[in-house]
Amino acid sequence: MKINLSRQNIYLFALSVFLLIFVLVFSFSILIPEGKEYRIKRGEVNVESRELKQLSDFSLETEVILQKLQSDNLHIITAFENIFNAQRFEKQYKSFFSSLEVSKKSKVGDEDGFSVYEVNTSSEISSPKSFYDFLDAVNKSDWIIAVNFPINFKRDSEMISSSFTMKVYGNKKDLNSSK
Amino acid sequence: MRYSYIKPRTKTLFTKDIQLLFAFFGVTIFMLFSTYAFLLFRDYRFNQDRAEINMKKEELRIHISKMNKQISSIEQQSMLSEKVFTKNSVLKESINNLFDLVPGRITLSEAKIMENGLILYGITPNKDVYNFMLQAPLRSIFYKTYSSFYPAKNGWLRFVSTNYMNEEELGSED
Repeated sequence: MKINLSRQNIYLFALSVFLLIFVLVFSFSILIPEGKEYRIKRGEVNVESRELKQLSDFSLETEVILQKLQSDNLHIITAFENIFNAQRFEKQYKSFFSSLEVSKKSKVGDEDGFSVYEVNTSSEISSPKSFYDFLDAVNKSDWIIAVNFPINFKRDSEMISSSFTMKVYGNKKDLNSSK
Repeated sequence: MRYSYIKPRTKTLFTKDIQLLFAFFGVTIFMLFSTYAFLLFRDYRFNQDRAEINMKKEELRIHISKMNKQISSIEQQSMLSEKVFTKNSVLKESINNLFDLVPGRITLSEAKIMENGLILYGITPNKDVYNFMLQAPLRSIFYKTYSSFYPAKNGWLRFVSTNYMNEEELGSED
């Protein structure tokens, strides 16, 4: 059997084969690896998006916890931020005493990561009840104050002279700004 | 002299077959290149998205770490303030109990409350009243109790009662 092919048909066939080879080479060497890479990257982006979503949810949860803590402890947070002011203290707590004198504060060191100042107080009270009321009121004061030993009570005719030390706690950052 | 009755065709390289072939491969190659371009563009976008996500994650991590620091700081503040408030309340109760301890027949003139002890100055009608009504309860509270007496002008006795806590007990309370 003799196949009779014209020269034109041979060129046509050769061109078709060349283009087919080009398409196959291009597909297998470039397009398919690129497609695989695309799928891998899409998977990675999806994983990272999920992680971002989890992180974002966790951030929101933490923020809610923080806000709740801040609102529950608003008084305490402000009290730690406040710098002790002897005049203001005397003004606020004078009503509990017949006379009240507060000495200048002096830094005694750090405790549990907070700066501690010591203030000496001398006062006169008419009865121990005034002192008990003062101890109740000091827990609601603008500062975090611990009434500390030694505490002296001395009868002076109808009055009781009292002297005691107070520890005032503040945030450590107040160290430089405090007087 | 004419050899053919038909007019000769103009010969062209782009025959119908070639045109069909080019049209077919043209469409195929166009589709291949556009797919490749799409993949390249998506890769570029994925890289951008990943960079953006990583930046957001880093920002969130910093934000969370800041909030955690704030939370631990507030918790510390809360714990310390609770400790201080409790100490003040305990102190109030202790002083209240101390003054309740002193019987009506004994008059205190001075009280020094220390961290590890208590010194009381006062006046008592006699030693027995002091011993039974004040020293006995003080002994049950304090580890060491010392008393000294000296006469007052009205015939009563002035006393100084020095009381100390057990240092070990004091240490374990802290």
